[in-house]
Amino acid sequence: MLTSVATASKVVYNKGCCISENLPVIGLPKGLFYYEHSILWESFFKILGFPVITSEDTNKEILDNGIIHCSNETCLPVKVFHGHVYSLKDKTDYIFIPRYTSIDKNEYTCPKFCGLPDMALLNLKNKIKVLEVKLHIDKDTGLTFESLKEIARILGVNYQDTIEAFQTAIELFHEKKQEISRVNCYNQVRDLKKRAVSVLGHPYVIYDSYLSMKLIKKLKEKDIDVYTPLNLDHKTKRHNAYPYQGKAFWEVGFENLGSAFTYAQDKNMNGIIYLSPFACGVDAFIIEFIERQFKDRYKVPFLKLTIDEHTGEAGFDTRVEAFLDMIG
Amino acid sequence: MKITFPHAGNMYVPIKVLLETIGICYVMPPLCNKRTLEYGSTHSPEFICLPFKIILGDFIHGIQNGADTVLFCGGLGQCRLGYYGDLQTEILKSVGHNVKFICIDLTFMTVKEIVEKIKPLTEGKSLGKIIKAIACAIWTVFRVDKLYRLASYTRCREVVKGYTDNTMKEFHTRVQNAKGYKAIIKEINRAMRTLKTLKIDKKAKPLKVAIVGEFYVALEPSANLDVEKKLGNMGVEVHNTLSVSHWIMEHFIKRNLPVKSKNTPHEAGKEYMRTDDIGGHGLETVGNAVLCGRSGYDGIIHLYPFTCMPEIIAQCTFNEIQNKYGIPIITLILDEMSGEAGYMTRVEAFIDILERKRETSKPVMDKKCGMNV
Ligand code: SF4
Ligand code: SF4
Repeated sequence: MLTSVATASKVVYNKGCCISENLPVIGLPKGLFYYEHSILWESFFKILGFPVITSEDTNKEILDNGIIHCSNETCLPVKVFHGHVYSLKDKTDYIFIPRYTSIDKNEYTCPKFCGLPDMALLNLKNKIKVLEVKLHIDKDTGLTFESLKEIARILGVNYQDTIEAFQTAIELFHEKKQEISRVNCYNQVRDLKKRAVSVLGHPYVIYDSYLSMKLIKKLKEKDIDVYTPLNLDHKTKRHNAYPYQGKAFWEVGFENLGSAFTYAQDKNMNGIIYLSPFACGVDAFIIEFIERQFKDRYKVPFLKLTIDEHTGEAGFDTRVEAFLDMIG
Repeated sequence: MKITFPHAGNMYVPIKVLLETIGICYVMPPLCNKRTLEYGSTHSPEFICLPFKIILGDFIHGIQNGADTVLFCGGLGQCRLGYYGDLQTEILKSVGHNVKFICIDLTFMTVKEIVEKIKPLTEGKSLGKIIKAIACAIWTVFRVDKLYRLASYTRCREVVKGYTDNTMKEFHTRVQNAKGYKAIIKEINRAMRTLKTLKIDKKAKPLKVAIVGEFYVALEPSANLDVEKKLGNMGVEVHNTLSVSHWIMEHFIKRNLPVKSKNTPHEAGKEYMRTDDIGGHGLETVGNAVLCGRSGYDGIIHLYPFTCMPEIIAQCTFNEIQNKYGIPIITLILDEMSGEAGYMTRVEAFIDILERKRETSKPVMDKKCGMNV
């Protein structure tokens, strides 16, 4: 895969579109969209020939800076995202913040993703320069190309090359995604000697080891098999996403409803944990559907863990321990 | 078949006209009732937005009084409103109410869409009658909103305090008993006449404050602690930038017209949000705040329900707007626990600031407010 990035970028280099020595550095904040689409955007800029810096893993300093720069009501992941942007402020020339509105037919994002570039600019008092790509697949892919044109203009690269880079990056992204789902593909819990637990939630919560208090790692250390929405293929999740099959909903809703009801059908799944940031408007909906269905229809033990900036690791661990004891 | 519908400020008046003109049997939930919210919140998820809870309460009331169908709105998009219906159906089912939802899609609302959606209700009624009913209802929307605007004009200027409130209270009682388009319009006109004859202090130059924010809580007095009325009685002229008539103009009338025109608040909002939509009324909030900042208002009150996603985004712009246009903005976040006393103290303190500000910069007030609804 890496070789194809290399060749692709060489092609672009040979076209001579990046001649300048001191190319602007692009910053990728490690939050929100990053956990699902890092490959896409990283390769996009690399193919265009620009150096990319990714922010560090979330840590206390990042969180604290995020809290300072956001209003109190903002949800934790968006605060953390601001912290990442802040940490890149002096190291990079541009910070890349995409604007996702819908990322597939009928699949919308949380409103906060649609306002993200503006929010970051305003909250950081215009001290950063933002590059954005718009994705509104349900309505108009033209918007995406318009924003790519804008990026080409700002970075001073050829528009055609930008489009090509974008397309190559998308191909790479899909390749990688298929590879991941081939490796991790779930169809049934087989190893009955081990306990199996599924961890659900937004990717930027469950895979962020600081926000999730290393939940996945801790479970694995206890010799528990962990399943997340990543282990299921797209179709299965859409098929089981009660009651939104075939309707419009949030993308993260499809992912988590679909995963919850797929895993709940597996008799060998010992329990399901949902990690939710405090006051997330989207989760309020999703979790309610899950809890109601679980109560009526499935017997699987369910634990909802809410995290906010004050959640202590000790208390968190105790709740997880208690849950694990209960499921035996 | 008997239907029920949720409240949203004065929206019940045109809905009444619609249903009565077609001849559909309905139950109306009580106005501004504490019980409604209690019902609603006990059955709702904790972190769902406030409108969901009150609307659910309205439905439960309607159903307990014999309704078997719910008239509501739906649609796609980022915000939760479009998905309300699905979860509410589920919740109602679990407490033993099997009701039918009729959801009018707000994202692409056309006359055809409405006629089609309410078809199950209009069995045997002629199409002409239905279209006439829709037209009457829309006209009523504009009339009621006009009455509300008049009331907010007289409330802060009236010589004898309480007259406007009494007139409006009487209007609500009478209009609930009135049947049909003609009778309802008569009530509206009657209230207008009364307000026009009220003795007002013509020389008064009240503070002008605009309300921006989430549509439902800005309109529904039971959600916003009746802030519009309270401010009026403190002698402040309130302009609510949210109104059903404005909404209908933007989302229904303009959309059904062959010529496309721009949504003014949206365009103004793009100064800070470089996109067409951030869900809900987020972009309108930003735009309205900018427009009010430009047109000589003394202050802005921003209302939104706790956890409301689009308004949290909109709120980010306020620092810039306050600095650029020199207009103070206060944000009130509402939930079912909003303690009235605490909120009103904040509002009063805010008004004090505005008064002091005006005293130090007198000449600004001679500018006429250029906002139209
Ligand atoms: S989905 Fe929830 S956690 Fe994610 S950005 Fe939206 S409100 Fe925040
Ligand atoms: S705009 Fe706010 S109140 Fe309305 S549905 Fe969305 S989150 Fe809820």
